[in-house]
Amino acid sequence: MKSKKFLACILAGVMAMSMAACGGTDVATAGDEAAANGSEAMETGASTEAPTEAELNIMMSFPQYMDQWESYCHKFEEKMLAEKNVKVTVNLEMPSSDQYETILQTRLTGDDAPDLFTLHANNIGTYNQAGNLADLSGEALAGKIYENVKETVSVDGKLLAVPIESQAWGVLYNKDIFAQYDLTPPETLSDLKSICETLNSNGVTPFLLAFQEQWVPQLMTGLTLGDIVSGKIPDWLERMYKDEGSYEEVKEIFDVIDLIMANGTDRAMEEGSEAGSADFAIGKAAMYVQGTWAANTIMATNPDMNLGVFALPINDDPNCTRVNLSTSTTLAVYPGTQNMDLALAFANYVLDDADSSELFQSCSFNPLATCHNYESSSWVKEASEYVAAGKAYQDLVIPSAVTDEQGRLLQEYYVGDTTVEEIIQKLDLAFQNTNSLK
Amino acid sequence: MKNKKNPNRSLLIFCAPALLVYKIFKLYPAVSGIFYALTDWNGINKTYHFVGFSNFIEICGDSYFWNAMWFTLKYVLAIVVVANVVALLLAVAIESRPKGKGFFRTIFYMPNMISMVIGGYMWMFIFTKVLYYMADNWNMKFLDKSWIGNPKYSFVAIITVAAWGAVGYLMIIYMAALQGVPTELKAAASLDGANAWKIFWNVTFPLIGHAVTICVFWSLNSGFQVFDVIYALTGGGPGRATQSAAINIYEEAFKGNIRYGYATAKSMVLFLIVLLITMIQLRISKGKEEEL
Repeated sequence: MKSKKFLACILAGVMAMSMAACGGTDVATAGDEAAANGSEAMETGASTEAPTEAELNIMMSFPQYMDQWESYCHKFEEKMLAEKNVKVTVNLEMPSSDQYETILQTRLTGDDAPDLFTLHANNIGTYNQAGNLADLSGEALAGKIYENVKETVSVDGKLLAVPIESQAWGVLYNKDIFAQYDLTPPETLSDLKSICETLNSNGVTPFLLAFQEQWVPQLMTGLTLGDIVSGKIPDWLERMYKDEGSYEEVKEIFDVIDLIMANGTDRAMEEGSEAGSADFAIGKAAMYVQGTWAANTIMATNPDMNLGVFALPINDDPNCTRVNLSTSTTLAVYPGTQNMDLALAFANYVLDDADSSELFQSCSFNPLATCHNYESSSWVKEASEYVAAGKAYQDLVIPSAVTDEQGRLLQEYYVGDTTVEEIIQKLDLAFQNTNSLK
Repeated sequence: MKNKKNPNRSLLIFCAPALLVYKIFKLYPAVSGIFYALTDWNGINKTYHFVGFSNFIEICGDSYFWNAMWFTLKYVLAIVVVANVVALLLAVAIESRPKGKGFFRTIFYMPNMISMVIGGYMWMFIFTKVLYYMADNWNMKFLDKSWIGNPKYSFVAIITVAAWGAVGYLMIIYMAALQGVPTELKAAASLDGANAWKIFWNVTFPLIGHAVTICVFWSLNSGFQVFDVIYALTGGGPGRATQSAAINIYEEAFKGNIRYGYATAKSMVLFLIVLLITMIQLRISKGKEEEL
């Protein structure tokens, strides 16, 4: 009998705990109300009175810069308290980039949208159609952004997001290894071939391959398609959207993809992107098809690394050898937010005249607005030289279903499960499927 | 005692919290899914259209989905056999030990307490670093396989990790059943001259039939829904080679074209298939159970 009582007690305890867990949401709603009150009070609040309280929910997709953004949010809290007498609590969420979009979509549809959130510049169109982006054209920040970057975050002349990561990128290379064997960045595919031969004959692996995550092999199509479209077939993408083009026309891209795969490190499918960056940093290979966003990991692994960037050649026409100029991460304001003033204040603060430079520099982001007056890293400068020489193209906006498919098919191609012909056929089909859904 | 009048009421009260959670987080979404399966909702837009059965018609010709379904079937077959055999072996081995039952039970049950995503990442480290280290430095060349990149070996990797996670749970059920087998029956059999194997196969095994039913049902059912292990290990790759039905559905709903309605329709199809197979399994194994 005693043991029965004991069991009943335990069960009751478990029940009470599960109920407490269910009740957890109440706390969050209470916070939201306080936040709503706070923003109302902000307009009327006078600095002599006790500060009003408010809460701002921000969701971002780069956990690798957690520290930098956390301290920036603290600065924002201090600034708001000093200037507007509002005691803001910024709730910064940083889900891993893998699951970020899933979480964001769930939050947006579940009426639980964060006040500000990051999204990829390529998705601005879709999110705008769904009514999830506030117009920022009238804000002070609009006047600061460089014109060519501004284009990438605007739709119909409306500025819909604050660009955060905008970069020129191509292939990363180890300058020390190149100097050791007297090599210079390639201008044509033949140059690249002879670089590979020289490196191989000296026992250095030319390319680092890290194909475990699908987005990494996909970078090769990202670069090569941009090259060929900007240098040779400018109307290809336009026709693809009208079901009038085919990947057959750009088949040439596989020349360089084959070269990279044939001259790469072993066990590529077992290597994740971060591990790849670390291995590249310690000199396991001379070149790495990866964007400048990996520089943070690389320099953290090996602070003495001499990192460079060159444009990936796809054929023997130097006119096709260009770097990719793209905006990836941007910050948007949710139009239904109850804290619109605060949210806009934060959006403006990201491009603040006094503090923004330090933030962008600490994250090694590229300067993209007039308020950025810092000296950029050597690899950023090198890539910018291509842009200055007109050897750059705006990142192609390919539907994300097709981009994902490219990554998947290149993995299959690497392990030998598919052929170029099958890839062409499947990519054409994926593009047509996406077109038919519009 | 008041409770004797209506024993169901006290049972119901104890079940109420679980039932409530089940209704809100499982039953309601499942039922509302039937509605979304008939729409073209993309998961973000505030509006959507009713499209009738066109999603279901499209599924019939979706080779990626059926390939994923085929992979899932192979996976279920492998995991049901491997996990149950290993769990039963462990249960028998531990039960027959005179000492240290609690210790071994705890050790083998432990993986079950870790989330499979975390377990998957742990094993990922083993497959991509530890095994290669052993292959390169200790001359164990048979380990030098493409554990993530080659679908043949990644299937082995997936089954290993999934079985590692599930065995502890099944083992506990088998142990409970083994403890319920009366010792006098075994003693009688041994007096009649039966050896250990014959005692197990002809006396013990038929008497734990109900545990086999439960364990096979559980492993079948969870096998069809496999997601976390594969997601953490291979992400469904290379390409779509190790994509399970659940991963295919997830990618349809949240990646690429973000077709939420179509993905819901796919999960309806998966649900019907699982329902059919588990019903058949229950009918077959229920008939074979021995009652004391």
